[in-house]
Amino acid sequence: MLKITLTGDTLGLTGVLSREEAARALIDIRSRIAASAAEKVRIDLSGLERIDSAGVAMIDQLRQELRDRGRDAELTGVPAQVSEALRLFASPGGTAAAAPAREGFFYRIGDGAVKAARTARTMLYLIADTLYFAAAGLFNRRGIRKGEFINQSILIGVNALPIVALISFLLGFILALQSAAQLRQFGAAIYVADLIAIAMTREMGPLITAILFAGRSGSAIAAELATMGVTEETDALRSMGLNPTRYVLVPKFYAITLTMPLLTVLSIIIGILGAMVIGYSYLGIGPRPFYQEVMTVLFFRDIMTGLVKSVVFAWIIALVGAYYGFSARGGSEDVGRVTTAAVVASIFWVILADSLLGLIFYFGQGLEY
Amino acid sequence: MEQEPKKREIVKVTGLHAGYDGEEILHDVSLTAFAGDVTVILGASGCGKTTLLKHLIRLYMPTRGTIELFGRDITNMDEPEFDELLQQVGVLFQNGALLNSINVAENVAIPLEQHTTLPPELIARLVHTKLRLVEMEQALSKLPAELSGGMRKRAALARAIILDPPLLFCDEPSAGLDPTTSAGLDYLLLKLRDELGMSMVIVTHVVASIKRIADRCLFMDQGEVLFAGTLKEAESSGIEKIERFFREG
Repeated sequence: MLKITLTGDTLGLTGVLSREEAARALIDIRSRIAASAAEKVRIDLSGLERIDSAGVAMIDQLRQELRDRGRDAELTGVPAQVSEALRLFASPGGTAAAAPAREGFFYRIGDGAVKAARTARTMLYLIADTLYFAAAGLFNRRGIRKGEFINQSILIGVNALPIVALISFLLGFILALQSAAQLRQFGAAIYVADLIAIAMTREMGPLITAILFAGRSGSAIAAELATMGVTEETDALRSMGLNPTRYVLVPKFYAITLTMPLLTVLSIIIGILGAMVIGYSYLGIGPRPFYQEVMTVLFFRDIMTGLVKSVVFAWIIALVGAYYGFSARGGSEDVGRVTTAAVVASIFWVILADSLLGLIFYFGQGLEY
Repeated sequence: MEQEPKKREIVKVTGLHAGYDGEEILHDVSLTAFAGDVTVILGASGCGKTTLLKHLIRLYMPTRGTIELFGRDITNMDEPEFDELLQQVGVLFQNGALLNSINVAENVAIPLEQHTTLPPELIARLVHTKLRLVEMEQALSKLPAELSGGMRKRAALARAIILDPPLLFCDEPSAGLDPTTSAGLDYLLLKLRDELGMSMVIVTHVVASIKRIADRCLFMDQGEVLFAGTLKEAESSGIEKIERFFREG
């Protein structure tokens, strides 16, 4: 327990000044000293039995506050054990470390621009490396782990099959249900088949598959590469003369390039099947007329549009995931951060690319597209 | 095994049996660490040193036996009581275990923010003081990822001693450090013992480090205590395994 007295210009501290007492003592002493007019304050520690580092910090703080107000502060009657603690724990010059200065507005804008330029350059290097090693790997398998392409195709493609099938079926089902309600009012129920076939083939099939891949495979790529970086595995690969992009990323790149178009085709077919269920159960359109209507409206170029999009989306997901994975610099916390960032960025770039490709195919093939 | 009766027993483990998933790893382990001493738990990799240390801070519960810190049995203590007792104990983990998302000063301030009512200005002073003690005040605003292994350990040490604990546990403080940095950390631990009167229980298998810091040692082998006593007694114990450890370690 600490006892505080202020007699004239002498502040007496008696008892134990520990971290349990320090906060209360500081508030108490501040109010007592504020009420005193003394120019110089003597802090008498002769009655102190024990002091810890928090107590020393409190005395330092008090002395600094007095000095800041132009008042002098002097320690008197310091017992030996207290003197030892003061020697160990007192701040040099009695001042606490200043917080680092905050950068100005223009500095932050400039810094942001430099960082954006660095990001773009790193991304371009990564794209160039990946495309180069992927092309070179078709002729020379050196530097790529054996069996990894099959393994990655199973992980990225085959394992994603159930979720892609389920979501695509539900998507086709919902789209058909919503459009059927409108079209049947005009006696145009059969056009549900046209609408769903075109929407699923050109847009929804590639897009929903890409979004699922971004959540599943993009995050896995980013997390794996980030963990490898944090645990110095990528450094170890480099020390063994292996390029991490070629050794780790290229097999994933091959796998996603192959499996994503396949799963996109599956997504389109199952989405149309979902719509067929609505056609049969709600609109009374049998499977054969529905199928014939779909085949009438779909052209080869529609299927190619979907497939081209799916390959572009696959590359975006792999490269964005790899970019974030390789950029991890901290510990375990950074793995989570880059994984989340990779998924969000992948979905953003996929949707942006979908819009651009939509415009290209629309104007490139004439307005009848 | 010679004891010094004038010193207070700060850690006392009696007949400890412990393990995971039904497999017993520690068999009838007993240990006494005295106030003001550096007690080293040593032995080859996999002998149960770190497991014993984790039991001492109740990260794991033993199947049998008692563990007393400051004369109080922690195996039967309720959570709030043990949490309060932990404020008298600092722990330095093998890899520092600093939180990567916040800077060094924020890491060191965590125990003060959680366990005291000190105002921010006093917390800032204390953090600076403790970082100065471990010669890390220049790294105040750095993130753990920006520090070397030795710096991370010193920053973690500042966090471990921020509440002035009378007892410090260290798990492999020399692991992953070069001999010079490792020696520097050892001298820092000795400085804390001498200047702050801190008692320490340190797990290590680095012989050079053991010779620098140990007042007493507990030699473990396959989950059992092979020897307990002073370092000098250990070196001349005549036990073949211990002599080989010091000779080849």
